[in-house]
Parts: sequence; structure tokens; C-alpha cells
Amino acid sequence: MQPPAETDLLLMTVAIFLPTAFAILICLPLPIWRNKDWVRWTALWGTGLTMLVSFFIFIEYYQMAQGHSDGLRPGYGREAQLIPRMEAAAKRELTAQPRDSNDWVARVPWIPSFNIDYFVGIDGISMALVLLTTIITFISMIASWNIERYVRGYCALFLVLETGMIGTFLALDFFLFYIFWEVMLLPMYFLIGVWGGPRREYAAIKFFLYTLLGSVFILIAMLGFYFTNVRDVVPEQVVEEKAQRLVQTGRYTPDQARAEVKVNSFDILVLHKAGAVAADKIKAQEEVAQAGTEAERKAAEDKLGALQRRYNHTDDYFFTKTEFQYTMFVLLFIGFAIKVPVFPFHTWLPDAHVEAPTPISMILAGVLLKMGGYGILRIAYPICPWAAETLAWWVGLFGVINIVYGAFAAMAQTDFKKLVAYSSISHMGYVILGIAVWSSSNQGAYWSMGMNGALYQMLGHGVSSAGMFFLVGVIYDRAHHRDLNKFRGLNESMPVYGGISAIIFFAAMGLPGLCGFIGEVMVVLATWNFSWVFAILAALTVVLTAGYVLWTIQRVFLGTNDAYKDYPDITSRELLCAVPLVILSVALGILPSQLVLNWVEPSINYLVNMLARVNG
Amino acid sequence: MEHPGLLYVAATLLPLASFLILLIWGGLRNFARRNKATSPALDGVYQILGGDAITRTPAYIATAAIAGAFVLCLTGFILHAQDEHTHGAQPAAHAHDHKHDHDAAHADGKWAAHFEWIRLGSRENDSRGALALDLGFKIDHLATIMFLMVTFIATLIHIFSIGYMSDELQEKVEDHHVHTAHGHLERRGRFGRFFMYLSLFCFSMLNLILADNLFQVFISWELVGICSYLLIGFYYERTSASNAANKAFITNRVGDAGFVVGLLIIWTYVGTFNFDEIFARLRSPLHDSHGAVPLGGAFVRANPGAAEPDGRILKLAVPKPGEEAGSEVVLFPVDATEGHFHGVGHGRKFLRSEVRLSPDLDLDGHGHIPYWLLTVAGLGIFLGCVGKSAQFPLQVWLPDAMEGPTPVSALIHAATMVAAGVYLVGRAFPMFTREALLVIAYTGAITLFVAATIAIVMTDIKKVLAYSTVSQLGYMMLALGVGGWAAGLFHLLTHAFFKALLFLGSGSVIYGCHHEQEMTKMGGLLKKMPITGLTMLAGVLAIAGTPLFTGWYSKDAILVAAYGFTSVHGEHMLLFLAPLVTAGITTFYMFRMWFLTFTGEPRDAHVYEHAHETPWLMTVPLILLAVCSIGVAWGWPVWDAEASAMEKHVHHAQHHAVYTEFGTIVDKDFHEGALPEESIRQAGQAGHTLVGLLALFSAGMGFLFAFAVYKLKTLDPAEAKEQFAGAHDFLAHKWYFDELYSAMLVRPALAVSGWCRDFDRVVIDGFANGFGRFWVWVSKWDGLFDNGVIDGLANLLATMAYGVAGWFRSLQTGFLRSYVLFLVLAAIGLFVLLKYLVSVAVAG
Repeated sequence: MQPPAETDLLLMTVAIFLPTAFAILICLPLPIWRNKDWVRWTALWGTGLTMLVSFFIFIEYYQMAQGHSDGLRPGYGREAQLIPRMEAAAKRELTAQPRDSNDWVARVPWIPSFNIDYFVGIDGISMALVLLTTIITFISMIASWNIERYVRGYCALFLVLETGMIGTFLALDFFLFYIFWEVMLLPMYFLIGVWGGPRREYAAIKFFLYTLLGSVFILIAMLGFYFTNVRDVVPEQVVEEKAQRLVQTGRYTPDQARAEVKVNSFDILVLHKAGAVAADKIKAQEEVAQAGTEAERKAAEDKLGALQRRYNHTDDYFFTKTEFQYTMFVLLFIGFAIKVPVFPFHTWLPDAHVEAPTPISMILAGVLLKMGGYGILRIAYPICPWAAETLAWWVGLFGVINIVYGAFAAMAQTDFKKLVAYSSISHMGYVILGIAVWSSSNQGAYWSMGMNGALYQMLGHGVSSAGMFFLVGVIYDRAHHRDLNKFRGLNESMPVYGGISAIIFFAAMGLPGLCGFIGEVMVVLATWNFSWVFAILAALTVVLTAGYVLWTIQRVFLGTNDAYKDYPDITSRELLCAVPLVILSVALGILPSQLVLNWVEPSINYLVNMLARVNG
Repeated sequence: MEHPGLLYVAATLLPLASFLILLIWGGLRNFARRNKATSPALDGVYQILGGDAITRTPAYIATAAIAGAFVLCLTGFILHAQDEHTHGAQPAAHAHDHKHDHDAAHADGKWAAHFEWIRLGSRENDSRGALALDLGFKIDHLATIMFLMVTFIATLIHIFSIGYMSDELQEKVEDHHVHTAHGHLERRGRFGRFFMYLSLFCFSMLNLILADNLFQVFISWELVGICSYLLIGFYYERTSASNAANKAFITNRVGDAGFVVGLLIIWTYVGTFNFDEIFARLRSPLHDSHGAVPLGGAFVRANPGAAEPDGRILKLAVPKPGEEAGSEVVLFPVDATEGHFHGVGHGRKFLRSEVRLSPDLDLDGHGHIPYWLLTVAGLGIFLGCVGKSAQFPLQVWLPDAMEGPTPVSALIHAATMVAAGVYLVGRAFPMFTREALLVIAYTGAITLFVAATIAIVMTDIKKVLAYSTVSQLGYMMLALGVGGWAAGLFHLLTHAFFKALLFLGSGSVIYGCHHEQEMTKMGGLLKKMPITGLTMLAGVLAIAGTPLFTGWYSKDAILVAAYGFTSVHGEHMLLFLAPLVTAGITTFYMFRMWFLTFTGEPRDAHVYEHAHETPWLMTVPLILLAVCSIGVAWGWPVWDAEASAMEKHVHHAQHHAVYTEFGTIVDKDFHEGALPEESIRQAGQAGHTLVGLLALFSAGMGFLFAFAVYKLKTLDPAEAKEQFAGAHDFLAHKWYFDELYSAMLVRPALAVSGWCRDFDRVVIDGFANGFGRFWVWVSKWDGLFDNGVIDGLANLLATMAYGVAGWFRSLQTGFLRSYVLFLVLAAIGLFVLLKYLVSVAVAG
């Protein structure tokens, strides 16, 4: 007997669809919606409740993950690891045991004929990003209070957007992931295109086409994976069951059926395993080809033979072909890189930011960009590990170009929002670089540091960039322009605003004690081991970053300006948005381990160990 | 007391607490003031927080915090000395083993402790293999005395600032340097903010001294940088101030980039940031289980040895004496001396000439780092110090930093922060290779000369002092570079006192003259401000190296060190001549400043009329600092330049901070990598009297020249200026460094950034837009597609999309069609690609 509902499934589903429920509520033709404040408050409740649900999930997950330690540091048990949990859950299902309500992976068949499941799950990586999403969304909703046009439409789309984002981070089924990825796309298009600035249509279409292009790449890769046979990495019972069904058609003998069975899957974790097998096989083949002495050749051939006996079906459908690996990895990487965005696919971002309304910019920089990084971390790397390792240098190169190019381009901007947008490009470069520094030496310790740094940079940048865009919005509301050369002297009329801005901008500059420092320093420290050239370039960029941040502060806040003398300082509502971001910036800068790394790192370490084949 | 080291942690945290109190208080109050009209509650909050009145309370809080820190440091100093006394000083020969006594003594966290701030890795009890970023403290002799100096001077400067910043207590402060449409700028006083920044600075600076690892130093490094930025830009309405603040921070960041590179190399190769652990890894233990090790205390250089069968190089071979030194530096296990172990090298029984390496970075095993890379790491960290200590070629920011309030110049840009670079070179001393030290020495030598020459022609009283600071810091760097560790840090300490005195004195002059800084408008002020004048004279005498003043002891020590080094290494004679000559220049420009300011006829009647002696809040710190500038380095007998008690203390610290002394045991002919420290010391000793006389002569000449020109007026400076117009211009433009950097770095960087912007706009967006236009052209044919080619699928999808999104259609007509079309085309492309892949697979 299965219990009627799993609590983890329930909670994750609520977290994903609660915002949509509120969106539907807002769409209902009710008389109360004539009052715009009702709409806003309802949407705020929607995001607020979702945030509470995510907190609750976090507490539960944290308790589960900290459970066992087996002589390791707390949190390092298999509870932090997705695949073992998924396997355990699958085993329970096959042996008809009751499901575990507290393993934080949950699967419900959705479209059985295509093996598509509603499969969601949490580990440290997705948990951190879900928390970031719900918090930033909630704050953005408060920042949305001064949206006056089509408030209902705005709030409804805003909430749907949140569903898309949370769903993307929670989905473990590729198809489901793709659906959520697309779900997030359309609301964003309209939010920019309808509520944006003067060139909103251009910006919205640009955003849409770029992202759609990326989506298409991802779609192609996804289907490519689906058409591979992954029967070697799924439980034997599943294969057996399929064989039975073939036998029942009457066309096959049991033996034939067993040989004939193909398992196609959208399951991301199954694809992880298939990717690992493929990488092993390709490496073994390479070893055979490169073997110098007879003894080496023999050893390599034995290894390859063992792999082939064990995984004798993965050669079907070209999974182990290097061309396939390369193509798929490049497709996935470009697909996600557009979102990050990585040079040269980045020019949609400044335009989108400039035209988007303030809260949408906050979401865009704070959360949407992280989906690209998450996709690389969760999908591109683990599913195509061989290609990822082979192309790691190129990925790192893109990261470094982003860092340097973004910083240079930021320095030349005169539009405040564009400057912040380019600084985002520069900072997201650290994420790419941190992921790229593939190295299995030192038991993967440096790479693990880079990966952790990349994730931390995502969180830190999520907070600081959302803060920066919010602060730009505050001043735009008063001055109605964003031309950096026309400000000056705002510190005099708005001292509190100036102080808060200084903290947030210093956080972006990577000042120790604030959130930007930790991610950057971890990534850079990890980089030398991978490539000293990248490390030096990344280290030198701190000069440029200081340059454009301080120059901006000077142009906006310092000096005097009679024209802006009577501007009101930051209001209570604005303070309500800014203060949590300031607190997060400081807290994340001072307590990195206690707040985040202690529960995130085991999951990342597991991923690194899985990819680098190191038994940690 | 069980954990006396925690006194220092408390002393560090006190100013932080003060900062936080002032930050929250000020922030809330500012917010309430702006919004009090909107709600009575906020108005109430505003009144509780002090209302409109600007009070001295912030100053009292900050001063109490730093004074409390001083008391704690004094207690700690006494306890540390007692502890030393009861446990007995470790004999110098066992200096290296000190680390282990040290560990034993500190296992209980008595004087040192640390915790893991960021730690990655799964194992519970494995602190060696995993990479961990620690925060911690380590109190040794150097730290105790630095703490004492910093807190003492900071306390006096806080008190001085209460007087100096009193203008900021007004509700309307007029800033004469800023012109607006309605005349001079009027603004609200920012008294509290000044002390808030000072508190944050004190915290950062103390944390820098407290740190037991490079990473924590780097954190503090950046924090003192930002405090300096905030305080230089304190009068942020002035463009000159905000420019100077930016310049200071960005120039420092150039240095910091180097620092980061140093950190990266250490992290990647040595695997730890802890000072003790780095040194233990880099330098051979002095003793092994069988006695003294020939290479003890030195870098052991070796060559990659025989390869193991699997092809990975796993061994390093130490070349025999007389052969060329190896390309790699052997890294030792952190706990090399625990249990029975054998040293590395040749020339004695039970030494290993081959070292087996750990395959991975492992602090418990041997490793290696290329020698040149270690040099680069040292130079990287030194570049950070160059930035912070305003050494050549990054000295350009310090004179501009004088835009800040004068107490800031005294505290940050003279006494403490700029000395942090010197302090770090001293702290990290054992990791510098010989080549790196030589670079340090020459950097110091160039700096001290260049800065002194510029100081001659400056007319702004604070800029003279700024360049003199740069020059004196050059002396310290030079001393460290030639191996005079104690001399350099000794000068750091004495300089802090007399430079703080000189800056505060100049602040007193500026305050007394109503914010006039040009010496060309002063003169004859001694009558009006006798206390300021006389205390400054004490400072001038000290910096000039007058016998029995503090500067004499330390400068003498530096010159002796330089002399010793150059007498062994004759090719580096410049390292002795430059400081010797500059000693004369120093005396000249310092007396020039004093004569111009305090003697002769008043050059500006208006300034002179209104000049007045400053209140006791400002003169008392001056007097205290003057007393220190005269006597803080005294020992018995006073007239013996080598008898200074402070110098002895610093010397004592050397055994503890730099326990791996250069080549104390090294056979001189044996290994190239070791400096023959002993012979240098002996040479210095031998030439001591001569050096002392030469220095006195040089300083005396400088004084006589200044006396002749500015007191007796036998020479007319204006005439000299005309005669040497070219040279004067060159110096007055500060050797054209600003122009050079502007042309070589700033403008190219801006140009590149402009190119990046245009590349985005023209090339990338041009391509994207062209692509878009092409798409629009294609979509003209979309009707054809809809109706003819694959209408079934397309219509189905389109209908669905229309249905879902019909609500939005009024907003964005026509776009969804394109979307659908795009999806359809994408699907086609997908099929083509898959087909290709299948064919590849079949073919392969």
C-alpha cells in the first residue's frame, strides 16, 4: 500500500504551482480586482507564501541531509546526493515498498507513452537556487508596487514566471525541465515588451529570439538523448518488464525480446549515469589507441572489454561516439550560455535590462541568469562529461572573456542600467570559469573549490545585482533618466540611499566581508591549478572592476548638484526592499560556511567526484 | 589568564563594535530625518536618536573603543613579556624549533588560535589534505609591539580629531572649495560619520596585524583600502577629493592584483595560507633527529630526479655542493620535525639527497615549487605592499590622498596603513627569495630618492610630508630588502611616532590658519603657535636623524644594514649611497618646511593676523607624540646608537617572527641560495662608526643648506628655481608619473572599453539585427508555410498558442505567428540534424 501522498512531492509541487494558483486567482473575473492594491497584495501573498514554503522545504531538506555522517562531516552522507536517493526511490517502487516521504525526490508518471515523468527533486544546488528565487521574487514584488499599467496582467505574468523559475530548478526530468524553461520565457517576453521602456519591443523580441534559439539547441540535445538507448544504466527489472511486454506482442521469443529492448529516457539522473558510462568507454578506447607497450595495450583492452561486457548496449544510438558527445555538449552549452549570458551571445542582456521595469530587471539578473549556470552544472556537464572535460579549456576561455570583456564594456557605458548589466556579464564569467576548472588532481579539491565558488558567485551575484538594479530603479523614479553624466551629488539629498548603494556596489566590487568576495576569491584561487593565464587575467580584472564601480559612485553620488537637491530620500517601501538585500550581502559575506556552504558543498562535492571519478 | 591572546581579539573587535553602533545610529537617524514628516513614529525615533543636534557622542564612543583597545593591548603586552620571562627566551639556535614549542604552547589557544572559515572536503578529521581558508590570530613579539603602536597613535589621533573636526559639529558647514550657483556649498556637518570611518579603519588595521595567515591579511588589506577611500573622499563634494579617493583605491587595486597572484601561487603549490605553515614548508628545518642540517633554514633547491615506471616524476634530487642549484624548491611536511626524521641535503650522515614527492598536494608530505615561481609569488605579494606603502612605481596616490582631513593623513597615510606594506614584507619575510629581496631593496632605494627630490619643491605643507612619508617607507623597504629585518621594522615604529606628530602638527597649523595649506602664505608662525612649532621641531629633528632623537637610532640601523650588505656585495653599492645621500635631502626639505612655516616674515598678512594656537584637545596629543618622538627608542646608555630598548625588542621579535633566519648555519660556500647573513652582519658592525659619521655629515650638510637658504637667506630660492627651471619643472610635476600613467594605462584602458562597447553595438548587434531583418523577410512567406507546406502541424500548434495567449493578443499582435513559425523551422532543423547524426553513427 502506498500512502496517498508523499509529503516531499506535495511540498515541491506546492512550491512550484502556488504562484500559478495565485495567478489564476488574479485572472478570475472578480470585482475586487478593480482595486489595484488588492491585486498587488494578492500577488505579494502569493510570492510570500511560496517563500515560506521554500523555507519549510529547506528546513526539511537540511534536517534530512544532516542526518547521517558515517565518519564524515555532517551533511556528507548519501542524503546530499541525488542519484543514490533516486536509485533508492526507484528500488522501493519496483519492490512495491511504500515510498519515502522524506527523500526529496518524487516521481509521478505523466506521459507514459514517451517515458515522461513529473520528476522533481532537491539537492544542495537546487535548494540554494530555489531559496534565491523565492527571496528575490518576493522582494521584487514589493518593488513592483509602483507599476500602474495593467496591474492584473503584470501580477499574473509575474507569478507564472516564478512557477517557471522554481520548476526549472526542481525538475529532474529533462522534458519537464524544458517545459518550465519555456514557461518562464513567455511571461518574461511580455513583462519586458508591455511594461518596459521606450525601446521595449526591440528589447523583448531580442530577448525572446536569443533565448528561443538557446531553447531550440537544448531541445535538439534533449531529443538526441532521448533517442539513445540507456538500458544499461536502468534497473534490470525495468528492462525485464519491457521485455515481457514485447513478448506479449507475440513477435519475439523472451531472449530476442531481451536483446531488443530499448529504454529511452528523459530522466536527467539516468542520463548522468549514461554520460558517465560513455565517458568511461571513450576513455578506455583512447587508452587502447594510445597504448605504447604491449602490456599497456593488454591492460587497456581488458578494461575496455570489461566495460563493454557490463554496458553492452550503450553503443547503440551513438551515445559513445565522440562526435555525438561533442555535438550534444556544444548544443547544451550554447543553449545555456545564451542565458548566462556568455560572450558573444550576450547583447540581449543590456537591452533587456535597459528596457525592463525595475523589478523585472531584478529577477532577470538575480535569478534568470543563474538558470544558465544551473543548466551547465546540472545538465551539460554531467550528461556529457567526456566532452566537458575535453572542452574545459574552451569553457574556461569563455568565462575569462566574459570577465574581462564585461568589465571593459561596463566602463564605457553612460547608461546606469547598461553599466550594471555589463557588470553582470563580467560577474557571471566567474561562474563559468569556476565550473570550467576541471581537474581531478588533488582529489578534485581545486575543482570542487571552483564549483563551490561558482555556485556561491551565483548566489552572491543574485543578491548584489538585484540590489543594484533596484537602486538604479529608485533613482530612475525620481530623475526619470539614467544618464550617468547627468547625475552627481545624490549623496547630499539622499544620504541613506547613498549609504545603501555604497554597500551593495562594494559587494559587487568584491570587497571582503560582502557577498561578492567569497565567490570570486574561491573561483580565482581554484583557477591557477587549471590555467595560470586565466587566473592572472581574472585577478587583473579586479582593477577594472574597482575602476568602473568607483567611477560610477563618483558620477552618481559625489560632488554637488543643485538640480537634485530636493529629492526625497529612500522611502519606507524602498527601504523594505533594500534592507533585506543589504543584510543578505553582509551575511553571505561573513558567514559563507554557516549559511550556505555547509549544506551546498556536499552536493557539489558529490557532483565533482562523480565527474572526476574520484572517490572522495 | 588562560587565553591572553583573546585580549587582542577583543581589542580588534572593539572598534568594529563602535563602527556598527555609529553606522546603525547614523543610518536610522538620517532615514528618520528625511521621512519624519510622513509619520509621527519616525519623528519620535528621530528625537530619540538625537534630533537635529550634532553632538560629540560619536567621537566619545569611537575614542573610548580605541582607548579601550589600547588598554587591552598594553595588558597583553605585559602578559606576553611575563610569559616570555617565565618560559625563558628560546635560544636562537633553536629558533626553528620554536615553532613546535610554539605549537605546544598554543595548542590551548593561549596566544594563537584559528578556525576554519571556508572548508571544503568531506572528511571530519582531515585538516591537511582538504583546502581550508582559516581565520585566526597569532600574537608574537612583532604583533604585540605593532598593536601597542597602532592603538596608542590611533587613540591620540582620535582625541586630536575631536578638536580638528569640530567644524563638522555645525548644522551648516561652508565648504570654501566647492562653488555652487549660490556661492559656497553649505552642508550639514558630518562629525559622526568621520568617527565611524575611523573606527572601521582601526578594526581593519588591527585585524591586519592580528592575522595569522595571508588570506586574512588580504581581507584586512582590502578593508583598510576602502576605509582609506572613504576618508580621502570625506569631503566628497570636492571633485579633487573624490578623484583622489578613486585614484588611491584603484592604484592600490593594481597592487592587490599582484597580491592575488602571489596568493594563487602559494595556494596552488604550498597549499596553505598560514604563515607558520608556509615557512615550515618552504624552508628546511634547522635540525633533524641526528643534529644540525647543513641547509637548515634555507630553501633547499633540487632537480626533478629519476622517473618512476609510470612516467610521473616522483622524486627530486638535491645537487651536490658546487653543482648548480636545482630548479625546484623542496617543500617540507608541515610537521617535518615530529618523530624520527632525516634532513635533506649533503655533507653529513643520515641526510637524504633524494626526496620522494607526494603525488597530490599534501601538507604532510614533500612537494615542490619551481624556484622562479616562488620568486614571482614573492614579487606578487610585494606588489601589494608597493601599492599600500606607496612605493615606486605606485607612489602616485599618496600625495593626492592628502585631500582627506589631516588626522586621516596622520593616522592612515603616514603612521599605520601605509606601513602595512612594510609590515607584511616583514611578516612574510621567509618566503621571499634572494632575487625578490633584491627587487625589494632596489624598489626602496629608488623610492626614497625619487620621493625626497619631489619633496624639495612642494609648497603644500601636507604634500611635503606626504613625500617624506613615501621616502621614509622606501628606507624601510630597503632595509628589509638587504636583510635588515629588525632595522626596517624598527624604523617603521619610530617613524610612526614622528610622522604622526608631524602630520598632526601640520593639521594644527592648518587649523590655526583657517585651512590654509600653502607654505608660501605662512611664515613667522612660531610666535603665534609656539606649542605647535616646537613640537613640530622635535618631529623634524627626529626624522632628520639628529642624535638622541628616535629617528637617529632607526636610520642608523638601516644604514648599517645597507652598508653591511653592500660591503659584501660591492656591485650593489647604490643601495648604500642612495639612502646616505637622501638622508641629507631629507634634512634639507624638512628644515625647509619648518623654516618656511614658522620663521621669517609673515608672507600673507591676512593668514598671519588670524592665526592662533589650537585648543588643548589638539596640543596635548602633539606634546605626547613629541615626547615619544624624542624618547620612545631610548635605551641605556642613551648616546649609544645600538642600545635602543625598542630596537632590542624588535631584534628579539626577529627570532620569533623570522625563525628561519638566513643561513645562520649554512656553510657559506656550500649553497648558492643562502645569503651569508653572518658576514653581512659582521661587515655592518665593523663599519658602524664610519656609517654613523657619514650619516651625520650628510644630515648636517642638509641642515646647513636649508639654514643658509631659508633662514639666513644667503641664497635666494627663487633665483635657484629660475636657474634650474627644467629640473624644477620636472620635480614639481612629480617626475611626470601621473602624465605617464594617464597616457600609458588610463587612456588605453578607456579606449579598449570604448572598443568593447562599439564592438557590441556595431558588430554583434549589427549581425543580430541583420539576422532579424532577414527573419522578417522570411516571415513574409509565413502564410505560404501556414497554408501549404506543413499546415497541419503548424495550424495545430498555432491554434493552441493562440488559445492560450489570446488574452495578450491585443497587446502584441503578429508576434506569436513568428514564434510558431520559428518553432516549426526549428523542428525541421532538428530533424535534419538528427538525420545527420544517425548517418554519422551508421557510418562510424
